[in-house]
Amino acid sequence: MKRVALVVLGITFCSSAAWSDQLADIKSRGVLTCGVFGDLVPLGYQDAKTRSIVGLDVDVCAAIAEDLGVKLDLKTVSVDARIPSLETGRIDVMTASLAYTPVRAKQIDFSSAYMNVPVSVLVKKDSGIKSFADLAGKKVSANRGSTSEVFARQKLTNSEVVSFDNGPSSYLALAQDKVQGMAMVKSAAVGFHNRSSGQTVFLDEALFWEHDCVGVKKGEPALLAAVNTALDKLESSGRLQTIWDRWYGQSNEYQLAREKKVTPASEFE
Amino acid sequence: MNFHSLAVLADPDVQLLFLRGTLTTLELFVASAIAAYALGALLVVIRMSGWLPSAAVGAFVEYHRNVPSIVQIFVWYFGVPQILPQSWHAFANAHLSAFFFAVVALSLNAAAYISEDLRSGIRAVPPGQMEAARALGMSYLKAMRWVVVSQAVRGAAPALVSQALGLLKTTSLALAIGVKELMYVARQLDGETYATFPAYLTPTLIYLACTLTLMAIGSRLQQSARFTR
Repeated sequence: MKRVALVVLGITFCSSAAWSDQLADIKSRGVLTCGVFGDLVPLGYQDAKTRSIVGLDVDVCAAIAEDLGVKLDLKTVSVDARIPSLETGRIDVMTASLAYTPVRAKQIDFSSAYMNVPVSVLVKKDSGIKSFADLAGKKVSANRGSTSEVFARQKLTNSEVVSFDNGPSSYLALAQDKVQGMAMVKSAAVGFHNRSSGQTVFLDEALFWEHDCVGVKKGEPALLAAVNTALDKLESSGRLQTIWDRWYGQSNEYQLAREKKVTPASEFE
Repeated sequence: MNFHSLAVLADPDVQLLFLRGTLTTLELFVASAIAAYALGALLVVIRMSGWLPSAAVGAFVEYHRNVPSIVQIFVWYFGVPQILPQSWHAFANAHLSAFFFAVVALSLNAAAYISEDLRSGIRAVPPGQMEAARALGMSYLKAMRWVVVSQAVRGAAPALVSQALGLLKTTSLALAIGVKELMYVARQLDGETYATFPAYLTPTLIYLACTLTLMAIGSRLQQSARFTR
């Protein structure tokens, strides 16, 4: 029995030693396993024609893999699985619209932010709502489990925040006047705004700025540093701007300006 | 798995959140259950009496048994108000909550299953029972009440208890339209704190406590029914 316990202990230590430097592990494998969404336009989704996963997050991760000199292995993840799959090591780096929050930072490490967008509130144009104060006593929809939901609840203390499973449901609730506002990151909400044929308008105030970062497992300083270096290089070479323009720029339906460049984690922590 | 994350459950705000969620779940369940059993019995009566063509009741039952419950909830919350005139729609937004639509969808859904269970209970009573009761001079209603239904309910009891358990768990689907019941609260807590394990452990235990209570009540009722035999 004792011997069995020793063997088990030995295996545990050996395996933890083998996992101690994920960057070296990635390089020796020659593959970077990257977690992306498979159903979020335009960050990570399945292209209808090619059946492959494409999007801004996918391009960013591909550029990082290229910088590390390894192949890219895309894995789609669900909202709830993002942090657990980093913790268990199933995924090396997470580029799945992963916004920084202090609570999440206790469980995983965040790189510099490659995408910075405000979380805004969309309202009906004819509702007369002009500011957050006007939303007092009214209902505001948000996507369940999103940072928008958390911040809306913290900042709009006089409003009732009602969460729905996805963007279309949150928007449908606004369109059918079941709620009077929709709190959502502007890059996602702009799609609904553009399709509402002028019936909706964004409030000027931002609930907060969302910083989408690359998530890595805690205690992997080498991997984190490599990701940050890669992001800085991609910024200075103009590649990140190119990627943004491809997915959000004037050439497509979003026409959203890139308001901030790569931001070091120290600025929003 | 982080057992130390159980600490979030010591937070009074979190406890209040779960308490409110549990109460909403129980309100959903009680309101839907009362409506569902009443409507289920009514459906059987309609089907057996021939007031309406039995195909009408059949279509109602088949719609509710064959379309996913979540779709039925969406239809009531997002779909039905949209086909109403604008003034009715505005009235529904002002006065009818997501809770109301959830109860409507859940009770119609459960009623369909309950009516089928009751009908199979009634069909399990041999026709000779009715004929004998009528031969002894009982009226149709009396024979139904004292001979057929009393036996039918006893036969259908296990299935009816099952429906109650199913209904209790189905109430969790109401979170899709923003009803702040137990699973809504659990997912909100998970989203805010990432304490996934305690966020889902708590509702698991609460649902289990409720279903075990329901099962105990069910078996007590079946026991007492046996005594009157």
